[in-house]
Amino acid sequence: MKALRASAWYLMLTGFAILVIGPLLWMVFTSLKSNGEATRIPPTFVPERFTADGYGTLFEGRTQAPVLRWFANSMIAATAQTLLILLVASTAAYALARLEFRGKGPLFAVIVGTLLVPSFVLLIPNFLIVDRLGWLDSLWALIVPGAAGAFGVFFLRQFFLGLPRELEEAATIEGANHLHIFVKIVLPLSRPALATLAVLSFLGNWNEFIWPIYVIFSPDYFTLPPGLSILQGAYTIDYPVIMAGAVLASVPALIIFVVAQRYVIEGVSRTGLKG
Amino acid sequence: MAVSSSHNLTRRGLLALGAGAGSALLLSACGGGGGPAGPAGPSKAASAAPTTYTGPKVDLAFWNGFTGGDGPFMKKLVERFNGEHPNIKVTMNVYQWADYYAKVPAAVTAGQGPDVGIMHVDSVPTNAARQVIVPLDDLAASLSLTESDFSPPVWKAGVYRNARYAIPLDVHPLGMFYNKAVVAEAGLDPDKPPRTGADYLAALEELKKAGIQGHWATPFPFTGTFQFGSLLHQFGGTLFSADAATATFAQEPGVKALSWLVDLITKGYSPKNVGQDADLIALKNGKAAYNWNGIWTINTLNEAEGLEWGVAPLPVIGDQPAAWAGSHQFVVFKQRARDDDKLAAAKVFINWISQHSIEWAKGGQVPARKTIREGAEFKALEHQSVIGSQIDHLYFLPPVPGIPDASAQIDTAVNQAILLKKEPAAALGEAAAKADKILEQNRKKYGA
Amino acid sequence: MVDLRARSAAVVSVAPRPVRRRGRFTPLFFLAPYLVLFCLFVVVPAIFGGWISLHEWDYLLPGKPFTGLDNYLALFDPDSRVSGDFWTSMKATGIFTVASVPPLVILPLGVALLLNRRFRGRTFFRAVFFMPFVLGVAVISVMWRILLDPNIGFVNHLLGANIPWTTDLPWAWISLVGITVWWTLGFNAVIYLAGLQDIPAELYDAAGVDGANRWQRFVHVTLPGLRPVALFVTTTTILASANMFGQSFLITKGAPGVETRTTIMYIAQEGLRDYRMGSAAAMSYVLTLVLVAVSVINFRLFRSRS
Repeated sequence: MKALRASAWYLMLTGFAILVIGPLLWMVFTSLKSNGEATRIPPTFVPERFTADGYGTLFEGRTQAPVLRWFANSMIAATAQTLLILLVASTAAYALARLEFRGKGPLFAVIVGTLLVPSFVLLIPNFLIVDRLGWLDSLWALIVPGAAGAFGVFFLRQFFLGLPRELEEAATIEGANHLHIFVKIVLPLSRPALATLAVLSFLGNWNEFIWPIYVIFSPDYFTLPPGLSILQGAYTIDYPVIMAGAVLASVPALIIFVVAQRYVIEGVSRTGLKG
Repeated sequence: MAVSSSHNLTRRGLLALGAGAGSALLLSACGGGGGPAGPAGPSKAASAAPTTYTGPKVDLAFWNGFTGGDGPFMKKLVERFNGEHPNIKVTMNVYQWADYYAKVPAAVTAGQGPDVGIMHVDSVPTNAARQVIVPLDDLAASLSLTESDFSPPVWKAGVYRNARYAIPLDVHPLGMFYNKAVVAEAGLDPDKPPRTGADYLAALEELKKAGIQGHWATPFPFTGTFQFGSLLHQFGGTLFSADAATATFAQEPGVKALSWLVDLITKGYSPKNVGQDADLIALKNGKAAYNWNGIWTINTLNEAEGLEWGVAPLPVIGDQPAAWAGSHQFVVFKQRARDDDKLAAAKVFINWISQHSIEWAKGGQVPARKTIREGAEFKALEHQSVIGSQIDHLYFLPPVPGIPDASAQIDTAVNQAILLKKEPAAALGEAAAKADKILEQNRKKYGA
Repeated sequence: MVDLRARSAAVVSVAPRPVRRRGRFTPLFFLAPYLVLFCLFVVVPAIFGGWISLHEWDYLLPGKPFTGLDNYLALFDPDSRVSGDFWTSMKATGIFTVASVPPLVILPLGVALLLNRRFRGRTFFRAVFFMPFVLGVAVISVMWRILLDPNIGFVNHLLGANIPWTTDLPWAWISLVGITVWWTLGFNAVIYLAGLQDIPAELYDAAGVDGANRWQRFVHVTLPGLRPVALFVTTTTILASANMFGQSFLITKGAPGVETRTTIMYIAQEGLRDYRMGSAAAMSYVLTLVLVAVSVINFRLFRSRS
């Protein structure tokens, strides 16, 4: 009976998973087709003939583009911005969740309120500000402004509110100050939330493609999304190249997720609160 | 009617340009003073012949959107130019066109713009008005370039407020691509593509009998809107009045044109709900016989293994031949600090590429320059020259800033009609009313 | 159980038992790094955007005439160039938001609950459900456009059907919602997962001692424990759906006609393609006002349920 239930459960999960993964398989298979087969009617799913031409175009390509350099830029920008977000959002969220000060409610309302403003309004003003700062055409423009968004603060505040207070209160009685409590108690307890925020921030930056159009001019400072869009061509219908670019860009992001999600699993249950 | 008088001035200015170097220089001075982005005074470089550059070594940044099969051809040309000009080093950067048009104004504002670039002819007036690019009258004058060196509509399209802002590189018209095997299967002669509306419909009928929907009518701008515009001009209409004061695409020729496209579906020559690119993919797969597409399609079809295809001028469905075309044009960007050496070098570069544009034509283009277009080397390019034969029947949008905003309304009307959501006349009428409001606001905005 | 109630009451509103106050500048110390960035890159641009909305504004044109509230009034004037298109786009955004938020809030919770159990292959399955979100909008859009092509797409081939997935209503909405659920389900699921880790195990143990069955534990422990996270997920999902534009822009191009052109897509055309940034900013702020109203209701709902 138990085994039956377990296998039914696996069956359901696998069914879901196939729905999710099917289109992704199609993407990977398309990246391994010839252009002719990729646009065949009726379409094929598994390539009749596997070829790496799509990937070849990306690397030696039409323009001898510095794909590895774009990759490095994407890594640097996404990592740096993620760290910056973790730092500034966690401290601000701690103050908003745990400290008492005048104007806290309105401040939180304003921060969350800015989430409601469409980012297109901020685009041109931010471009002008970044120009003043002398950050145009440099990675600074891809790292710093994006860390100011309210998402991380709102996210961590909600998590901090849900944390049990007992440990903090005990520490306060022992005379620990807020910095100590924040670093030694709240941050370790929040590992699932911090890991989740890190993954989401990293991906947000990794896939950003509108802001770089306005602030990056030299191909040397391109990240992957604008770079790959150059390689994929404008008028020619070359689906294998597009899909190869997508596979290439998503593999590192997926690895980051798999690594980071270990911290999500090993959350509170293993940090000493159990029992 | 400020717009119409400025248009007349433009025409007169062009005539003067043809009349002699003296008046051309005068025009250049006028353009410089009157155009919003005019240089402070007459340029020193203007007097030097732009065929040679003898100054100190300069670097030129050259930006464009040649991301497709055309990119390598331009890159090779640039490399050759660099080899022949030891004191000029041109560096070419390529972006997606859509990104390019957002990026260039941003870079120019920040003082980090490139020196030379390419723009589509429809974008030239807007960028001139927004002071992204600078007038090039002195270049045209010192090269003695005139309308007769190009084709009149292509050449005129680069003028905004009496000043020339762009030098044509190429034109890329629509052509009728066809799948020879499919046509032959239906018992039609693959070497005699239909030339008239009656022939075309007869061919589609034969194909229908053979179970082929011959012409997939796409509701999307690439190239549904272009097909509509071509047909409209064939029926004797224009999209906008010559002074761009009003939208005229909803008049009778427009309704005829759009109805003709919609009828392809109702008569069973086209499936409903054609998706983006599906029309061309259908042609490649033998599911369609004809596809009216841009000249760049040559590259796509050349890459398709084992496909027998041909290309012909668009059939004359209406009363006269006409076809949509775009045109890539050279522009020079505004800089914070003027550098006469760079300007002079830029002119040498533009002139050299223009003279060598036969190499560019091989990448799937029709050269704008008449001498090259009529040369034996271009005639030898089978597909390009067939499409290029339409050169005297091409249409362009009136050169006023913001015209793409107004013409975008046409996309909506074409989409609604071809997806059978609205009658052609109703869809076009609504779009034209909106386009009129846009044109009015543009006149205010750009101070025409 | 009483303890649980108290805890969930604390969750949304201000904490009832704050840690003892120490040093007046402590909050400032914690807030300063973020507030510097926030002011420079969010508050100042947002205010500047408001200023822009009072002008006919193009950053490249020397003349930026002040027009007062004209850009706002035009949105409410049926004869203006923009009002018809703007409200059509608001309707499109509304349809998409109403249709996409419920599945995006509920389905990921189910997935998170499934994936929160201990079983072999858990890491693999988590990666699978999250995988689509790793892709950028440009990629998923091109991919689905090809898959869903009405005449030559793989999906219709598979179904042996002729469904106009991308060119007709209601199919275009079904496609856009379905694609978005497929794409972002993993995003909300990992947030729920992190939230589930946050619920102390002793609460489940206590409930077990009280003799609660699985469903009761879900209702009395899991759901209240997830309340702050669920508020976050609901709020950000509403915002994300209200800001949708990439999928429409790339998959349907707004077709048929402008039926699936969302507000943000229209704003982007107005501001970035047609360079009418004053008008685009005004539209953005009208949309913001609507979202403020929706968010206030959303926050109230979560509070009143406690």
